[in-house]
Amino acid sequence: MASITRYTKMAYDKADDIVFGHAKHPVSYGFGIKVGAGRVIPELNYAPRPGTEKDIARITKEYVDYISQDAVNRAVTLGFPDLQLETEWISQMGTNSKMAESIVSGQTALLEKMHDKYGINLAIRHTLPDQREADQGLRPKMDKERSYPERLIISAEIACENGASLISVESMGGKELLDYGVQMGDITACLFGIGYLGSLDMSWLWPQLVDIAKKNKVTPGGDTNCSGANTSMFMAGGFLDNDVQRTFSAITRAIASARTLVAWECGATGPDKDCGYEGPICKTIAGKPNAQEGKNCQCAHADLQGNLMAQICDVWSNESVEYHSEFGGSSVQCWLGSLGYEVALMNTAIAFGKQKTLRDLYMFTDRARGPEGYILAYDNAFKIGQAIVAEGKNLYLRSKAAAITAAKIIRDGNKKKELPLTIKQKDVLEGIIKTLEKLPDEESKFVDYCLKQYKDVPAFNPKNYDL
Amino acid sequence: MLSKKGVDFGFILRRYDVEIENKGSPEAIAKKLLPKDAVFKACAEDVLYMRFKDVGKTVADALKSKKPLDVINEGLVPGMEIVSKLYAEHIYYLPEIMLAAKTMEIGIALAEKQLGSARKTKGLAVMHVAEGDPHDIGKNIAAVMMRAAGFSVIDMGRDVAVDDVVACVAKEKPFLVTGTALMTTTMSAFPAIAAKMKAKGINIPFMSAGGAVNREFSEGFELGIYSEKAPQTPPIADKIVAGYDWKKVKAEWDNIVKGV
Repeated sequence: MASITRYTKMAYDKADDIVFGHAKHPVSYGFGIKVGAGRVIPELNYAPRPGTEKDIARITKEYVDYISQDAVNRAVTLGFPDLQLETEWISQMGTNSKMAESIVSGQTALLEKMHDKYGINLAIRHTLPDQREADQGLRPKMDKERSYPERLIISAEIACENGASLISVESMGGKELLDYGVQMGDITACLFGIGYLGSLDMSWLWPQLVDIAKKNKVTPGGDTNCSGANTSMFMAGGFLDNDVQRTFSAITRAIASARTLVAWECGATGPDKDCGYEGPICKTIAGKPNAQEGKNCQCAHADLQGNLMAQICDVWSNESVEYHSEFGGSSVQCWLGSLGYEVALMNTAIAFGKQKTLRDLYMFTDRARGPEGYILAYDNAFKIGQAIVAEGKNLYLRSKAAAITAAKIIRDGNKKKELPLTIKQKDVLEGIIKTLEKLPDEESKFVDYCLKQYKDVPAFNPKNYDL
Repeated sequence: MLSKKGVDFGFILRRYDVEIENKGSPEAIAKKLLPKDAVFKACAEDVLYMRFKDVGKTVADALKSKKPLDVINEGLVPGMEIVSKLYAEHIYYLPEIMLAAKTMEIGIALAEKQLGSARKTKGLAVMHVAEGDPHDIGKNIAAVMMRAAGFSVIDMGRDVAVDDVVACVAKEKPFLVTGTALMTTTMSAFPAIAAKMKAKGINIPFMSAGGAVNREFSEGFELGIYSEKAPQTPPIADKIVAGYDWKKVKAEWDNIVKGV
């Protein structure tokens, strides 16, 4: 089984050394794709039309003949040198092995053919469906009804044995506590849920995924806290939304970075998952390639840091678009055009030696748009990274350090008038700092407290985490 | 890093959230809306200020001099109505709604205990998340808002099979069934559920919601209606219990959810 090595040092000496398109530890896979090796790669994600999942032949045709073929044709049409596809498995692929095999092998065969025909560099990421349900059990033999923990591992085997270039997962550990924490405004529940339980769950899951990937010469990419910090971020929303305070969601993001890092500690090599907005913090720590999304994923959602997220990425994604027709072609072709031209701009900046200028422009456009973007600005992300590695070996303390550091960065930014906040955002922020500073310094005391405090949270079962 | 000296960031973005923040206090708004009767007012204030640890004692005291149904309808429920108003005016946020609802439910449970039975609600809704879909936070919030608005809810949870939903609806006879989905390929279950309900002669509205779902899809099948976000669910439900069928909800949807 792959071993786990916790990060206790930063990959970079200073924040200014980090740019898009370059990672300390580049990776190569697929049909000629090199990530973090000097240029940014566009990654296109998509969802099939409702109803196409009803039989294997139809869904395979949707993914291979329509979506993948359309995308490669548009990349060649517009002269893009690289294209990475991402198939986020639909739930039916997670339970129907034959459907999954048909799609994975079909897409890979098409990419190989197109690579041979045009010389375009191509790869495909398969994102496995983590359908595990906390109330049924997150570990093997616990879910007697649907065996979702076993199905997750089987999905990894199917993806790797049938031609995936890269695998990822949006793992679900700790989500039950995060959901509770976001709804109740309880930052301790979020810290326990994603910072601690999520990290424990990933420490169980990722060594297995890395082993399966390596056995099949597939690249193990990384994870994302889409199910946690993105829930918080989307509920915090934009300037007209009033469900969750954006200072609250920013702190959940910082906590998520200490958790998402675990995949890389287990031997995953990057790129991590595009929807993990905690990626910039993880890259400052590990120097592994970072996939990100932002301005070119408006087909899927809006956020308040659309430009900033491009600042130090190595792969740039559209998050996901449902396959359908647009005036300019199919939706995947239209959104690939948007993605590919943005990536061309980044790579032009690299070619002209202006990558740091463009990085800073991306960053400054959104630095003050909201607290989440503010803590993810690469200089602040670097500070949070330093706080995490200072406590690198302790999953609880490093998550707490990330949270407190992020909260103080926001407070300082507001004090020096760089980051405006509403009264309510400030009140919530001060409450978070007060709560976090009162938490114990010992992991065991924190865990004992949380097991008692959150014992009645729906679906929470400590046995899922060997507690 | 580039120097930002002299850069006018107002040229780049406007922080509308800071500019339009409602600085009104809950106390000032509640002052005009709280019940006049001191006993009911105490119950309403516990809900309004989310005092879930205190509400048990307040309700127990109230029950010494007031009827259980009056404690609910003239104390606890008005407190929740003020909370909803504060939420609509961007003074309260989701955590306040959730904590206030929790407080109200504690109080109602105590009053119902004395009543000897559950109070009569506005009606029963069945709520679920589509088969294969594990994302249930939106449904959970909508369920809390429905309960807080005076409805009963059977929450079937997430990843629920089509036939299980149909069987539950046939057995419990709700006035509304809702389904939530985050993925395009799981929401296909909704028209299938509606068709099976129709085949059984059940013609109640089927409300679709969730990240993958849009209005066009939701209204594209018989019985189908749409909710864009959790707070829209109670006002739509109010119209259904007032006699609107799915066609009328669909036709008047814009007006029903206006401003929510």
